[in-house]
Amino acid sequence: MTTTVSVHELTKTFGRVKPLDGLSLDFGPGVTGLLGPNGAGKTTLLRCLATTLAPDRGDIRVLGLDIADREQRTEARRRLGYLPQEPGFFTRFTAFELLDYIAILKEMTDRRHRHGEVRRVLAEVDLADRATTRIRKLSGGMRQRLALAQALLGEPELLVLDEPTVGLDPEQRMRFRALISRLGESRTVLLSTHQTEDVAALCERVITMKDGQVVFDGTPAGLTAGAAGLVWQSAERPHAGLFWRTSEGMYRTLGQRPAGAEPADPTIEDGYLLALDTSSTATAA
Amino acid sequence: MSGTWHVDTDLLERYVSSRLDPVTSMSIETHLTRCERCRNTLPREDAWLSRSWAAIEDTIGRPRLTVIERTLRRLGVPEHMARLLAATPMLSRAWLLGVAAVLTFAVAAAHWAPAHPAALLPFLVAAPVSPLVGVAIAYAPRIDAAHEMLAATPMAGSRLLLVRTGAVLVTATPLAAATMPFLPAPPVVTVAWLCPGLALVTACLALSVRVPVRTAAPLLVVAWLIGVFAAGQFTGDRLLPFQPPAQMVYGTTAAVLAVFVYLRRSRLDAGGTR
Repeated sequence: MTTTVSVHELTKTFGRVKPLDGLSLDFGPGVTGLLGPNGAGKTTLLRCLATTLAPDRGDIRVLGLDIADREQRTEARRRLGYLPQEPGFFTRFTAFELLDYIAILKEMTDRRHRHGEVRRVLAEVDLADRATTRIRKLSGGMRQRLALAQALLGEPELLVLDEPTVGLDPEQRMRFRALISRLGESRTVLLSTHQTEDVAALCERVITMKDGQVVFDGTPAGLTAGAAGLVWQSAERPHAGLFWRTSEGMYRTLGQRPAGAEPADPTIEDGYLLALDTSSTATAA
Repeated sequence: MSGTWHVDTDLLERYVSSRLDPVTSMSIETHLTRCERCRNTLPREDAWLSRSWAAIEDTIGRPRLTVIERTLRRLGVPEHMARLLAATPMLSRAWLLGVAAVLTFAVAAAHWAPAHPAALLPFLVAAPVSPLVGVAIAYAPRIDAAHEMLAATPMAGSRLLLVRTGAVLVTATPLAAATMPFLPAPPVVTVAWLCPGLALVTACLALSVRVPVRTAAPLLVVAWLIGVFAAGQFTGDRLLPFQPPAQMVYGTTAAVLAVFVYLRRSRLDAGGTR
């Protein structure tokens, strides 16, 4: 694998909370998904990679650049696009004006080229007809697409997307997946999500995080396969273990086989939940 | 006319080479809008056409220039820099009105007791603070709502901070200067707010090497108010902080801190270590 982004012994502390504790990872071209519960350290990791947050310790190399160095950090910023978890907006701006403003901050000084680029990314996220609409009048899903559009300005080599599908309806999510998989063909895309379906549909590699540590690193198929033989279905309510009632009225259990339960085909969500559960058991042990 | 008649070759050639009188040209253009067959016989250059469309699209889709932007352009500021300055988030109506209101109040206070030796004090205390407050609110989460997106751009850090500080200074300074003629004192006295104002802004930038701007600015405002009050209390001369020796201190401080900020500019960046 060609390494485009690498982190080594990354540590970050906020008061008493340590979202990253000596994390080391390499990323290559293609789409990599970060899965994990709230507080797992995904956002902290992505903020460090996007150069908006300095780690306490550890090394980060983005596209071969050491971002601890000011000049190299600026160069890295020229080549990356970042969608934060909670993208704020100047709501008095129109969609076009916001992108124009950010394009200037991305050093696009030639007006005609810049405006062409703004129109291109607006079309990419299907907002061309909303260019002159004030942001305060855009729906949540439209704002999320606008935030994605700003990340695409300048055709960056690295895309860092923190929960990009939040607020998108199913149709928009489909379009988004098509866009990201196309972008992932020629660049490195790192995205965090709570949606296991997004990972299954988009990512060649999935990293599951918990408490600042990696608990699974492999393919989505590998994550699913990890649950093989550990997923059960029964009509009777189990007495213990991790289980829930499905829409068919059956009980789905992960882990030990409950009495009278039949084996069921695992899904990526089963694999994800078991990866988290196994790490808890390992920690407790 | 478009039903059976079509533009013949000779007429079309003369139309293309602009050798027709205006009335005939207009008549042909009306026909061309309705007749696809004649339109298709028109010679056209695809590259020129796409360039023309792009230019039209660019003209129509271009954001409307604001008053600030138009003024900056007339002053020779490059287009992208004018846009950046004009779109600086804190140059909002609320902040401008706030600065104007504070300065108006300070001028009114000076006129309330013009013979009093400290009549100018409210103005001299308030005027240096106004740019500092502007710099602080430029980084307040509610005003700089998009700060996380902007922090990942190449201009984030010292460049953006300096652009915004410059925008505040070039806005707040004329506002304060505009109120000076209304003060009951000679200009040489009323201008005494300028050096402390500059020193406070550079001190804010210097402090932001260690703490966020939105923390540094309120700290300095409080320190400034306490300092002015304490100087008056201990010496009995409330205008002491605005006398020539104090002005020398402010000027020197501003110059030294400006050099310090330049040398430590890499730390004015959330992505760099503080």
